[in-house]
Amino acid sequence: MSSHNNHVENSTWMHAVMMAGIFAVIGIIAFAALGIGVANQKHDVYDDAKHAYHDAKEDPLTTSEELDHLYHAEEEAHLSFLTYRVAGVTILVMFSIYAIFLGIGGFVNALQSDDDHGHDDHGHEEHHGSASPIVFSLGIMLFLMGFPSFVVACKALMSQGGTFAFGDILLSLIGLNFVMLGIANWWKEDLPFIGHGEQIATSAPFEGEHIRKAGIWVFIMSEIMVFATFFSSYLRVRTEWCTDWAIRASESGDKCYGVAEGNVTTASDLLRYDVATLMPGAINTFALIVSSYTIVLALKTAKNKNWEAPTNFMRFVLPDKKRAIRNYLIATLLLGSLFIVLKLVEWSHLVAEGFDIGSPQGSIFYVATGAHGLHVFVGLLVMLYLIFKSDTVGFDEDNGQGIEYFGLYWHFVDLAWVVIFPAFYLY
Amino acid sequence: MGEHATTGIEKWLLDKTGKDIYFWNFLVLMFFTLFEVGAVFFEKIPGTEIEITRLMVWGVLIGVGIIKGYGIAAYFMHLRGDPRIYTRTALFPVLFVLLMLWGIGLSNPEAVTELPSWCTPDWDYATR
Repeated sequence: MSSHNNHVENSTWMHAVMMAGIFAVIGIIAFAALGIGVANQKHDVYDDAKHAYHDAKEDPLTTSEELDHLYHAEEEAHLSFLTYRVAGVTILVMFSIYAIFLGIGGFVNALQSDDDHGHDDHGHEEHHGSASPIVFSLGIMLFLMGFPSFVVACKALMSQGGTFAFGDILLSLIGLNFVMLGIANWWKEDLPFIGHGEQIATSAPFEGEHIRKAGIWVFIMSEIMVFATFFSSYLRVRTEWCTDWAIRASESGDKCYGVAEGNVTTASDLLRYDVATLMPGAINTFALIVSSYTIVLALKTAKNKNWEAPTNFMRFVLPDKKRAIRNYLIATLLLGSLFIVLKLVEWSHLVAEGFDIGSPQGSIFYVATGAHGLHVFVGLLVMLYLIFKSDTVGFDEDNGQGIEYFGLYWHFVDLAWVVIFPAFYLY
Repeated sequence: MGEHATTGIEKWLLDKTGKDIYFWNFLVLMFFTLFEVGAVFFEKIPGTEIEITRLMVWGVLIGVGIIKGYGIAAYFMHLRGDPRIYTRTALFPVLFVLLMLWGIGLSNPEAVTELPSWCTPDWDYATR
């Protein structure tokens, strides 16, 4: 960022710490209500259904129809319990990470004296780089280098086998510290930016264009290739599998003709035939599309010099330009968070039904949809900063491009889902 | 993404309805999502006896995917209206994507079960 022409006081950074507190409280309340309150009730229902099924199984007078009915009742009760427990835990973990992210970012910057903020010895038009991406990348590299041991240590912590050793998480922790330092410094550089001195490319092929915009497009280009690897792997194995659908549609001479059904079960076999199982994926698709629209509305509002508050009931949600932008961004954050919650609920149901990562079908499904979910989550972390900035310094027609460039990434995540959803859920 | 020039269909829609292209793009995306979910969920076209075959589902999914992809890239990501260099940048990996889809996705059937040992992970480590 080339221009730091707006002084940011420590109290502004403490605003991020206050927001962190709000997120932590919301997470705890949601966990208490869904993950404990409702989930415990559902667990009691599940226990009753389980006992009823086991009692009926041992009763010689029970007909197979009754047994079948009780089995399904038990299965439904189990999935219902999982829905609330997983949703509660996911919200708690996700909002805790939001709180940690905002809290550390705000606190680290607030620790510096007021004189250190917002001063820049360079002229407005002078180009100078930022060390933050390098620090951030170094942190990611260290985190990933330590990740295999980190997973082993996490398994031990969750009583999934093995013994916990602090040395196993050390490298990843150092990496995470570098990541947070890079992010905090990035915030420090970007928050005072009010739109003057955006760096312009001076040579082909992006001559005359904003460097940040060109950068995000080059980044998206690399992301397209990442998702293409998942998709081509999936296409390879998927066209080779004799799924029930392929068997039923096959004709004499086809590879799958005459093969017994139940040979291969994909995630879509478990999801697409029932409204209840298809619903999380479908809602997620709508949530991403709506979130793409809300971020467009945030940008449109920021860029509109003559914005006026609506006169209908929406005036309560969009009372003035600053709060309208903030609320559109909050809506985007909530829709993205809903996506993650529903995704993990759906995964928990699939795992409960025996579809885990141990099979080739499970492996490609969880890796591809998990990589997409990770992109959504990273986007949500960036969104937190945008919400913080919109609530403090604010966005307008001069610095609204911050929303625009992040929006490009967010739309790409939506675009990737346009391919993943039909391929993994519907086909 | 950004300030969209109101020309052509964008201007026509804005003049006729008072709503901008983003709003209509949003509605089109919602409609087609509903359409693709419906195409898979129903076994017959509602109100008819026409069976929805596997081939029809493929057609619907690919067709809807292209429409939705265009809607997001052209209007939400603003490739329609931005300098051509961004479209070229976005399309640059397509060559590699096609190579991967062809080279891995649609050929090389032994990739499913006969991967050479140097490109299979150490599963013992992964499950430790």
